Amino acid sequence: MSEAKQTPRERTIARRYVWQMLLLMALYVVILLVSIHALKTGHYSPIFRDLIAITPAIPMFGVVAAVIQFMLSIDELQRQIHLEALAIAAGVTAALAVTYTFLEGVGLPHSQAWWAFACVDLTWALALPFVKRRYE
Amino acid sequence: MKNRIRVLRAEHEWSQAEVADKLGIARQTVNALETGKYAPSLPLAFKISKLFELPVEHIFDPDSVEE
Repeated sequence: MSEAKQTPRERTIARRYVWQMLLLMALYVVILLVSIHALKTGHYSPIFRDLIAITPAIPMFGVVAAVIQFMLSIDELQRQIHLEALAIAAGVTAALAVTYTFLEGVGLPHSQAWWAFACVDLTWALALPFVKRRYE
Repeated sequence: MKNRIRVLRAEHEWSQAEVADKLGIARQTVNALETGKYAPSLPLAFKISKLFELPVEHIFDPDSVEE
């Protein structure tokens, strides 16, 4: 939907969401670089090392909070559209994870779980226009 | 679900965006309601009823509900 067709309330919600995402992504990059540097240069106890290693996940939980806030801000149809697209994204991601697990069984390299986060985001964005079309 | 939202909106000379703003919903949602692609929740139906100052059953046609 073009911005000209949006109400001021819609624009406010969309802008807030975009800014929150940009800030959280920037925060993620900064924390990731700092934690990598800290782990490479310092000597820590195992527990402290683990804590430093998981610090980049903090902005990811911020992303989850921003998505929840976005979902609660939009109206009931928009929420239904996003939840349907998110359900498709979750299903596709789960199916891809299981499929790759079978491939790991025949010798493909072990995958890291972080791709699931990106996969959900990507398939959510791809599914959204198709779900929206049903209500147009 | 068939309804008279488009007719009532025209009578008030409101745009979809104006109705969306008054109801606190998206313009796309107003369009989906008008075309019958989306049946509103009870709270939204009552908000629409209040906006047009008409009973819910005078706006929405319960006989047109699709299974």
